[in-house]
Amino acid sequence: MSRLDHLLRFRLAGRAGLALQRRRAERRIDRARPGAGPGLNPPLRSVARMRELMSLHYLEGRYVSGIRPVAWVTSGAPSEILKALGFFVVYPENHAALCGARRRAQRLCEAAEDAGYSRDICSYARTDIGSVLTGDTPVGRLPPPDLLLCCTNICQTVLYWYRVLADHFGCPLVLVDTPFQYRESPLPHEVAYVRRQLEEMVPIAERVARRSLDEKRFLEVVTLSKQASGLWLEVLERARHRPSPLTAFDAFIHLGPVVDLRGDPRTVAYYRQMLAELDGRIAAGKGAVREERYRVLWDNLPIWYRVGPLSKFLAERGVNIVASTYTHAWGEVAPLMDPRDPLTSMARVCLYAILNRSAGQKLEAMRRMVGEFSIDGVILHSDRSCKPYSLGQIDQRRTLAEELGVPALLLDADHNDPRVFAEEQANTRLEAFVEMMGR
Amino acid sequence: MLGTTALPSRREVIAEARARGQRVAAVLPYHYPRVLLRAHGFHPVEVWGPPRIPRDLGSRHFPAYTCDIVVRATSFLLQGGLDGVDAILVPHTCDALQGMGSVLGDFLRPDPAVLTLYLPRGQRPEDRAFLADELRRLGGALAGLSGVEPDAAAWESAFTAESSADAALASLYQRRSRLAVSDRDFYTVVRAREYLPAEEFVALAGSLPEGDSPAGVPLLLSGIVAEPLELFDHLAAAGARVAADDLACGSRRLYPQVAAGDPHERLADRLLGAPPDPTRGSPIAERAAHLRRRMEESGARGLVVYDVKFCEPELFDVPLLRAHLAGAGYPLLHVEVELGEDLGQQALTRLEAFVETLR
Amino acid sequence: MSRAAAVGIDAGSTTCKLVAIDAAGEVVATRLEPASPRLEEQAAQMLSSLLAKLGAADGLPTVATGYGRRLVRGAARQVTEITCHARGVFRALGHGGTLVDLGGQDSKVIRIAGDGRPLDFAMNDKCAAGTGRFLEHTAGRLGVEVAELGERALHSLMEEPITSTCTVFAESEIISLIARGADLDAIIRGLHRSLVGRIVAMVRSVGLDPPLILSGGVALNRGVQEMIAEATGERVLLPPRPQLMGAYGAALIAAGG
Repeated sequence: MSRLDHLLRFRLAGRAGLALQRRRAERRIDRARPGAGPGLNPPLRSVARMRELMSLHYLEGRYVSGIRPVAWVTSGAPSEILKALGFFVVYPENHAALCGARRRAQRLCEAAEDAGYSRDICSYARTDIGSVLTGDTPVGRLPPPDLLLCCTNICQTVLYWYRVLADHFGCPLVLVDTPFQYRESPLPHEVAYVRRQLEEMVPIAERVARRSLDEKRFLEVVTLSKQASGLWLEVLERARHRPSPLTAFDAFIHLGPVVDLRGDPRTVAYYRQMLAELDGRIAAGKGAVREERYRVLWDNLPIWYRVGPLSKFLAERGVNIVASTYTHAWGEVAPLMDPRDPLTSMARVCLYAILNRSAGQKLEAMRRMVGEFSIDGVILHSDRSCKPYSLGQIDQRRTLAEELGVPALLLDADHNDPRVFAEEQANTRLEAFVEMMGR
Repeated sequence: MLGTTALPSRREVIAEARARGQRVAAVLPYHYPRVLLRAHGFHPVEVWGPPRIPRDLGSRHFPAYTCDIVVRATSFLLQGGLDGVDAILVPHTCDALQGMGSVLGDFLRPDPAVLTLYLPRGQRPEDRAFLADELRRLGGALAGLSGVEPDAAAWESAFTAESSADAALASLYQRRSRLAVSDRDFYTVVRAREYLPAEEFVALAGSLPEGDSPAGVPLLLSGIVAEPLELFDHLAAAGARVAADDLACGSRRLYPQVAAGDPHERLADRLLGAPPDPTRGSPIAERAAHLRRRMEESGARGLVVYDVKFCEPELFDVPLLRAHLAGAGYPLLHVEVELGEDLGQQALTRLEAFVETLR
Repeated sequence: MSRAAAVGIDAGSTTCKLVAIDAAGEVVATRLEPASPRLEEQAAQMLSSLLAKLGAADGLPTVATGYGRRLVRGAARQVTEITCHARGVFRALGHGGTLVDLGGQDSKVIRIAGDGRPLDFAMNDKCAAGTGRFLEHTAGRLGVEVAELGERALHSLMEEPITSTCTVFAESEIISLIARGADLDAIIRGLHRSLVGRIVAMVRSVGLDPPLILSGGVALNRGVQEMIAEATGERVLLPPRPQLMGAYGAALIAAGG
């Protein structure tokens, strides 16, 4: 990719084109007339800006090879170091989710399966491997990595997956291994271990980036990350209001920037914009769902290929999924980030990720959220692809339903593979669940 | 056939240990420090499944896509199979065992204490330092249960005993082509290391007769656990023999001997020095090179990857291993089984067909 | 006196097949019956009846293959259907390639080398969705004869995509489609597409070395033939007597060929 391409197609034409698209989308939303009866209100206007930011990111990706070093990174990884070194960061999980949401994941999974990858491995991995093998992607082109950064705080599967990528691309794989937290607080040797891996990561990344890490720039990125993360938490907490101005499905979609573009000043500005819009709705008593009757907590990943239809199905029955444990994960770490001691605090942030904590602690988090968000029922998505999240849900569900008296539904599906989802069966279960909340 | 009826069962070994005043730890797969347990007054007995335990009880706590090792071990626990043990150690081998540690510790809360051990996924200095500290932490937890804090002499004694047993195991593999035992008997003995006291294992390993080893198309058997043992009878009937293995219950635990030093650091070095395997983050090319060497040394003509269903660490590596080994002229067969009563028709037919292609 | 030199028995789960060959490897007699649950008795009975007919009551070299191969008394050896199909097809056609065997309850893909050896294979024997059972079961629900399925699929101008990957869920889906007034033949065509999709995925997992060869009962289905050709871009060859390739190969092995 030439610098000229990067300049013309991305920085000039691309940006202008995407700004135009955003304005059109905003106008469309402004013109939308809300319906009558229970159902979804028109989406948040901010979604147009969010799409613009994410599209800009992927657009740059098409032209960035040879201009900036490229890293592929897991969603829970400490990307701040790489961002401070000027890496263009790709999140294969976000890309896979995008493929899932655009209903392109099945054929990518099939491509991976044709190459011998079992259907019993994570559908994000199959989507990504299928895309890498065929070059097929809805974002035009994903720049190949010069470096892979894998943090095991979300699961061990990412390490198996990234080893496959490392073999395929022949680039260095940096591992940040985070000891699983069976107990409430990390022990000193666990924090020291993660911190040391972060320190060791720096020279490797510097070699690939061909520059040294600038302390000032690093602190700037960490500060921006903390701000974005804190704002995200505020966004999510707005859902405590009745009616809630946003749904968890909105949150799944608006999550993109705080995962992929954390450390970018535009992300901070974006969430401020989103907060302002939410506060406007709250002041007007306007909820994301018309006639919000039931408030529900969603556990585990979203079902990406059904977010729209599920949201609508539930809203028509007066159900607003107001909170999710998944989206909270990127906000609740904000207080832990400390620009005065970036490496140690980043180590703690990595260790604290919800998926790195035991099933009992996840249940505690759910219990807390039931109280804080005035929850009437919990949907636990039994995600076939995600063992760290799904194992323990049977006991969590039973505790919620039997000990806490909160109706709780276990819903079998998969976050990205539509072949695992049986629509009729799922709808029946959801209807029964709504009836249970009504009693 | 070896007088395997002469081998005590795991239940019997547990009873004998308790009669000696020793505590017993049930241990889930698969890398863990025997010496640490022994030094703190525990006799380890491993729990791999077990094969003839139904999933029912365990499946009330784990979804259907959880592997048999976790679900059947949980069933075994819930039906009283682990009554009488003092601790259950769940090493952090993979996401499924991670879940098991959580579900046991947070929800099931059995009488025996549930202990965990995080195994680092690298072989860097920081991994070694972490593992030594993690072993110190586990040692502290064990001491808390047994009241035993080992002194230098206790450590030496534990190291000596377990090192002899490790050497006896390694020797079995070295002498394999001169041992007049069937594959079934060979693995029955290898797997006795999972529960026999070290001294008894040394005696058992030394008692195998030398002579002509069985003939057959030589295979390398990789995977987690070779159950049911009838697998070996079927391979023999199909005209094959296992020339070498890359099994978690076998060669993947041929640890290097490490010279004296701080006991926790010695143990960390041993564990980190194990052969390449997917649960330790080993690069796939390293695994492939290791397997290729083993096949050349042993004369194996094909690789059988024998996996329990839903085993993600194994599944991710198969396509690239297949490609790397095909380049060296070695075919790979991937078979997935459930740890049930019999080896299913499907798995058997695939194994037989594979052997037929190698003749 | 019989010309017969050897016998092959393919004791499958849907049908039991016998083939007798002469010393030159040519077929002299065949038998095919729907499989009885009493497989052992059926195989013994079919074998003794065939031997009597051939004037070889003392017996002939016999090899058994198929799901029930271990239950065949009188077979000197058991050899898997992988090796037997490869051998049978190679002898029948004179070359190797990629064989897709579509049975009632299982399907397999075998890459056959230029000398007739099986190089690699994939089997689908756990799930009905990639097998003849898928079509049979749904045909039953639709009230259509199995023998008609292929032609009706072929001649339908429209196609209703069936998205469920599981036979049981596909049934619910079909019922919804019919309730919505979808055309029966379009549904049948969609079912064929679904089946072929799974078969082609298996072919890709083994690797396609042309030519592409079909065997087994479902191979006779012209809708399946056309759709596989379309999906792979390859011509599809059928050996003579496609259902008998396993038994034929077993007989060849019994004769020492």
